[in-house]
Amino acid sequence: MDPLLKLEGLSVHFSGLKALTNVSFDAYAGEVRAIIGPNGAGKTTLFNAISGYSQPTAGAIYFKGEAIHGLTPHDISIKGVRRTFQNGGLFPELTALENILAGLHTQIIGGFFGVILGSRAAREAEREGIARARSLLDLMDLEFLADQEVKDLSGGQQRMVEIVRTLATEPPLLLLDEPFVGLSPPMRTRMMEIIRKLAGEEGIGILLVEHAIDLVMSSSDVIVVLSSGEKIAEGKPEQVRENREVLEAYLGYA
Amino acid sequence: MNEQTSPNPPSNPKEVVASMTRMRRIFYVLPVIALAIPFVANEYLQFMANAILVYSLVTVGFNVVIGNLGQLAFANTAFFGLGAYTTAILMVYAGMPYMLAVVAAAVVGGLGGFLASVTALRGIRLYYLAIITLAFGELMRWTYLHADGITHGSDGLLMPQPSFFGIAMENETVKFYVFLLITVVLIKATSNLMRSRFGRAIVAIRDNEAATASLGIHTARYIILAFVWSGAVVGVAGAMFAALTERVFPESFSLTEVIVHFAMVLVGGTGSIIGSVLGAITLTALPEYFRQFPGMEELFFGIVIVCVLLFLPKGLVSLLRRVSPVFNERYYRD
Repeated sequence: MDPLLKLEGLSVHFSGLKALTNVSFDAYAGEVRAIIGPNGAGKTTLFNAISGYSQPTAGAIYFKGEAIHGLTPHDISIKGVRRTFQNGGLFPELTALENILAGLHTQIIGGFFGVILGSRAAREAEREGIARARSLLDLMDLEFLADQEVKDLSGGQQRMVEIVRTLATEPPLLLLDEPFVGLSPPMRTRMMEIIRKLAGEEGIGILLVEHAIDLVMSSSDVIVVLSSGEKIAEGKPEQVRENREVLEAYLGYA
Repeated sequence: MNEQTSPNPPSNPKEVVASMTRMRRIFYVLPVIALAIPFVANEYLQFMANAILVYSLVTVGFNVVIGNLGQLAFANTAFFGLGAYTTAILMVYAGMPYMLAVVAAAVVGGLGGFLASVTALRGIRLYYLAIITLAFGELMRWTYLHADGITHGSDGLLMPQPSFFGIAMENETVKFYVFLLITVVLIKATSNLMRSRFGRAIVAIRDNEAATASLGIHTARYIILAFVWSGAVVGVAGAMFAALTERVFPESFSLTEVIVHFAMVLVGGTGSIIGSVLGAITLTALPEYFRQFPGMEELFFGIVIVCVLLFLPKGLVSLLRRVSPVFNERYYRD
């Protein structure tokens, strides 16, 4: 099987600071791949590089065999790589429904003049978008929050709405930046089920950055360990757990 | 799952949508009621009503950049002046009919908006953007003053009598109907724009620009759109202002003027079209009312602004929102 995402010798340096050095791995459709590592290991920089928010200093990123390094964040998103943000990427003053609608932006047709003049086609496209957004919220049992501004939602609800928004266009690859942070134990279990389901049933490739090691061990197929910007290990959870270098770098065992 | 309990009890969305659609009809009734104003107003009040229409467009346009896009860009007097001078110059020197000059004012105002957007796109934001756009406005005023071969400098440029498709706009009443038509069309168009994916992209950029790009939205394009739309609408307001005052002076587009525009946006409510109109009505009518207290006018004017901002930080429109959710403008159209 061809990899969905291929990183080749990826390096990102910020004026002397080596955030990532020579990182390579392949990610596949239907696979949950966790990126772990201590603070400052370069996990978020890796996400930023893949999604176009940081430019690689060296190396290459291929998505479905096509080079995507150097593209803008919106072009990479249009190609089918979507991400969430560590500190929440929702639009706080917009309702949950409007957030999902913004996620559907590229799929709602209707040109500028059609919109201005309120043409039938533009209004129909908008109505279809609204129906689609409501059904997406319904899928995650969030329909009752549709008309709430997201700044009034709990942290867990916000994470859920953000995931729904990211999934709205059915992207083949999803980057989840710390999806479990701020969730209560039952919500974590729920989130884990959702992630497993997206990969297993929908065949979506998932890359996730996470600190909670127990959740990573039980929810991912493959783990990539970063330390000081370099990949120090890659493998199945049980392999990584046994890896001495990982234990030293990440878990602090001697 | 205790976290999924909503602060508000769930209601049937279909029912809510249907009743909201019915209530929104009041927005169509308001312009119809306005048609009766010339029958009850004397010439002075009619002039005030016309000025309110001009300032409604000024505020609606300005609010797109300030409220919806959330950028502190103060080039509004530049757009306003460009619209007014474009209209006057084209009518005086090219004999262009008024309605065509209005379209030209929209185009030139939109170009001004595009220029202002370039600074924001270059990553100049917040107070840097504020100061650079204020400078743009002052630069334009300096130009009107010194290009006196064309603009007649501080004497002002006298407008020929405008006409609307053959009907001479010879008194305040005719002007009112023409202005009302233009204002209603542009407010409706702005409302359509804001309640579409375009308007959502603009407010999304305000709330979180990086996340907006992550949804495949070309953010630069929508920053330009917001500025150009704002410039075009305010440019048309300038064309109406030229017809209203019949003589275009550089001093009409000074720094004080942009402060008044900004106050209208804040007093009415940022990011709200209804609020923009309320702000324009309040801050156009009140100074006239306060004229009966000579020497105290500015004091009262200032007190009103301070009180509204202290007690209604979301503007006068928040009072209406307490009455009905229909005044809670959303960014989609069902």
